[in-house]
Parts: sequence; C-alpha cells; structure tokens
Amino acid sequence: MDQEEMKTREKISRYERLEAAWNLEKADRVPVAPILCYIIPYLGRITIREMFFEPEKLIQATVACLDIIGDNIDPNITTLDHLSLLGKSGWDQATLDWRIWDDFPPRGNIPSFFEKPVLEDYDDVIEKGFSTILFNRKLKQIFSRKWDDFLFYEFEFPKEYAQAWSKFVEEYEIPLLMGGRACHPLDLLQYYRGINLLIEDIFERPQKVHEMSEFLLEYEIKRAMEQAVLMGAGRVPGAEVIFFINGGPPGMSPKIFEEFFWPYAKKAIDTFVNCGFKVWCHWDNDLTPHLQKMRTIGDGLPRGKIVLDFEKTEMKKAKEILGDRVCLYGNVPSSLLVYGTVEEVEAYSKKLIQECAEGGGYILGTECEVPWNAKRENVRAMIKAAEKYGKY
Amino acid sequence: MGKLSDALLHLDKQRVLTIVAEDLQRGRDPLEMIEEAREGLELVGAEFEKGNLFLMELMRAAQIFKSAAEFINPKIRERYEKTGAKGKVLIGTVAGDVHDLGKGIVSSLLECAGYEVIDLGVDVAVDLFLEKIREHRPQVVGMSGLLTTSIPVMKGTAEAISKSGLREEVKLIVGGGIVGEIDPLELGVDYSAKSASEGVRIIEGWIKRK
Repeated sequence: MDQEEMKTREKISRYERLEAAWNLEKADRVPVAPILCYIIPYLGRITIREMFFEPEKLIQATVACLDIIGDNIDPNITTLDHLSLLGKSGWDQATLDWRIWDDFPPRGNIPSFFEKPVLEDYDDVIEKGFSTILFNRKLKQIFSRKWDDFLFYEFEFPKEYAQAWSKFVEEYEIPLLMGGRACHPLDLLQYYRGINLLIEDIFERPQKVHEMSEFLLEYEIKRAMEQAVLMGAGRVPGAEVIFFINGGPPGMSPKIFEEFFWPYAKKAIDTFVNCGFKVWCHWDNDLTPHLQKMRTIGDGLPRGKIVLDFEKTEMKKAKEILGDRVCLYGNVPSSLLVYGTVEEVEAYSKKLIQECAEGGGYILGTECEVPWNAKRENVRAMIKAAEKYGKY
Repeated sequence: MGKLSDALLHLDKQRVLTIVAEDLQRGRDPLEMIEEAREGLELVGAEFEKGNLFLMELMRAAQIFKSAAEFINPKIRERYEKTGAKGKVLIGTVAGDVHDLGKGIVSSLLECAGYEVIDLGVDVAVDLFLEKIREHRPQVVGMSGLLTTSIPVMKGTAEAISKSGLREEVKLIVGGGIVGEIDPLELGVDYSAKSASEGVRIIEGWIKRK
C-alpha cells in the first residue's frame, strides 16, 4: 500500500468509524472523541483573545495537540457565536465572565457563567428581539466594538473561520465534531434569568416560559443551520452536525422535563434531521430519571442521525433504554482527567466500553469537555483505551 | 402533618400564603408557624433524599418558605423581640470562580433551616475569607466552586485559614461540581459534599454537636 493509499484509507476509516457508530453499527473499533475546547489554546500556548480572533493560530494550536485528538475535532464553534452579536441569541456575550481574555493559562478558568438575571421582561425580547439584551446600557458591555469591526465579525470573519477549518480537515483528515451549535430554550432561560427566577417563572408563569421557549427555539434552529452551512455542511466531513446543548437546568423533575424540556428538544431534533442535518445532543447533568421519556427520540426519523452525549447520566442504563435508537457518547469524568492516573482513566474507559459498545452505537467520550488543566497523558490514555479495548 | 407543612410539601405557594395570612389573623403563635413551615421544608428535603423530589422542586420549596417567612418573621420579632439563629455559617465561591448556583442553594437551605448565613458572593479572595471569619466568627465556613481549577484554590484558602490561627474555631466544608469527589484530607478541610442537601445535613450535624 503506498503512502497516498494509506492516507485515503485512514481518511475513510476515521469518518466511517464515526458514521458506523452514528448508524448503530460496528466498524473496526469503538470511536473515541474527547471534546477539546479550551485545552487546545492552553497546550498550544495561545490566549483566548488569539483563539477567538485568529483562526490560523487556533489551527496551529490544534495541530500541536494532534496526539490527544481522537476521531474528530471540536472546531470551537463557540468562537463564532461569541463574536457574532447577531449570530446567536447573545447568551455568551451577556452572561459570561470574560476576564480571562488576555490571561491564559488563566488564574480563573474558561469563561464562566454569572448567575444573575440579564433578562427582565420576556415580552420585550419576544417583541423586539435580542437587541434589548445586547444593547442594554445597564448591562456590562462585553463585546462593544466599532461598527467596522462589528460588520467584519458578523459577515466576513465567519467565512475566514470556516475556510481555516475546512483546510484543517482536508490536511489532517480529521472530521469536525460539529458545524453549527444550538442551545435548548430552557438552558438559555437559565442563563438569562438565573436558576432561581427561572424556577419561579416555571411555577408561576408557565405560559410565558412556553412562549419564550417557542421564540428562542425558532431562533436557535435557524441560526445553527445557517452556521453549519457556512462551515461546509455536505462538503466538509462533520460540518453537517448540529451540536445541541446543554440538557436543561440541573435537577428537573419529570414534570418539568416532560413539559418544558422534552417537547422543545424533540422538536429541534426532528427539525434538524428533517432538514438534512445530524444532531449531537450534548446534554449535561444527570438525565437518568428521564431516559424512559426519551424513548420517543428518533421516532419517524431515518436512522443514524442522532448522538446522545451525556455528562452525568448513567451510561449503562442509557444503553439499555436508548441503545437501540441512538448512538451514545460519554462520559469519562473530568476529575479523572485532571487528578486521576493513566491507569484509572484506562480502567474507566474500559468499563464504559464494556457497558456501552456492544453491537455498535457508542463513541467513547468525555464528561462535557476535557478541562483545560487535564493531564495530557490522561487524555492520551483514553484514546489508547479505545484502541486497546474497543476492537469489534 | 399540619396544613402549612402539607401545603409546602405540595409546593402550593398560594395555599401556603393563604394559610399564613389566616393563621396570623387568628393570632397563632408565629414561632410555631415558622417551625411548622420548617418541618414542611424538611419533609421536602427527605423526599429529595429519597429521590421522590428533584432539585428544582427543593429550590421551589425554599422559595415558598422564604415568601412565607417574609410574613411570619416580622410577627416573631414583634412578639419575641429577637430570636437567635441556630448557628452562623460563612460561605463563598472561591477566587477565580464565579459560579453561584450551588452556593446559592446551600445558603438558601441553611437560611430556611434557621441558620444565619453570611454569603460573601463569588470570586472571593483568600484575604476576604480571613477578614470575614474574624469579623463574624462563624462555626462553619463553606467554600464553593464548580471549576477544576477551584480545587487548589480551596486548598490554598484552607491553608491560609490554618496559618492565620482561625482553623481551630471553624469547621471547613467544600462543595460544587467534582469537588465532592476529592478527599477532604487532601484539601485540608473537614468535609467534601457531593450535593447541597448533603452539605446542609453535615453542617447541621456539626452545629448541633457544638
């Protein structure tokens, strides 16, 4: 086999390996895909500012981390969201703490949520859109910038960004984890209102929460699909995937899950798939109590279009209940990646493979994402575990 | 079970507030009322521990309790002048971390259980912890943090408390995110809580024993 042929074969096998898992089928082995977001700028020694504004530097940093990239790569699409004031619903700009802009490795950490209400009036946003938040002078202006810059980052920069990643995919034969990103309305409401006010709203103003959820969902769906198209859906492997975050606020009761989370989640998934996209549901917290309710996932949709990526949910149960319907992803604990040993990461990964990989339909992954301060050798141990224990 | 605690257990805010208004009008002892409301909250906590209720419901119960307490507490002060809190807890999210959720839940549950909580907010510098411990002399200091990077900061804060000679006076508890998975000895604290309700239970146990 000559070098060119080997390259082609590797390219096919990497993408096909993931494809097989999406399709609940077996390939040569279990795919592995640690989600690497902020660890890449950290290990690649670039600042968050550079990571956001200079895609080439982010790509270089990614190349410096090839040893810990699994079968696909997170193109850090959040960058596009953060820079585009019109692009998304604005939660990133309005609700995150950005002190670490020029401070990496940070004294603090990746941008963190402020738990404070930035949305006072649902009707105001429903009627006038997100300008009421983004241009509210009472709120800290995080991304205030000149009009010239505003237009550049809104319209030109995304194309440069997409081009840089498309080149990376072609050159290194690693498919993208996603092409666009959407956020569940209930998560957005948690960011905008804070958990306390959201709970009050759910119990005292449920109709308003529903109205706002409908508004947000439509917005998120449309923008995520536009983003995926821009990133090369249908042309760049992986860009056809919509990354659908975040699994709702912590501790939803079955009633809240069934009324305020699941209908909107299902509607988004159905819409994405019916429009020709694939959906990677990146859902945090422990959703084990709701697995049975999720059994309707994928009803009426073609197979191979959905991944359920769980953070704290019990993977064994998820496999039992949903394993015949969707591909599962998860969930090596962050604590192990930061504080554990190579042996512990290997043992945990082995256990997950044993519990979830039978018959296909499983991607070995992280609990949310790899923390920026994870030990490099631990992330490598996870990748090696898929090769060692994940053979079909 | 009294009707006030029953209404609270059913997360029925309207009923709770109606009962409170009626009972106060009838001249019921407000101290007895607040205790009954606390019992209701404890029942909610017990159901939460058993897995029958969920975190958002636990938080809702605390919200309802606080709404009821807004009407009951002034009457307690009127009748008994001042009633002492069961104990004092100082709490904050450690430096470099702005996550408020877990800390907020613990503060809320502790307040509802009758403890005085001095909440220092988020991103609390080590020096501020020390200053406020000296000022308020709490029995327990709680450090919260969601990020993995908060763990060494917690350890550093605990060390600073020890070096300043305040460690003998206070019990230290940490919680949030993966913190509960870390050995407390490694952090130099007395307990790493896996959940807000577990943290509250431990704190209550310590203060009762003191």
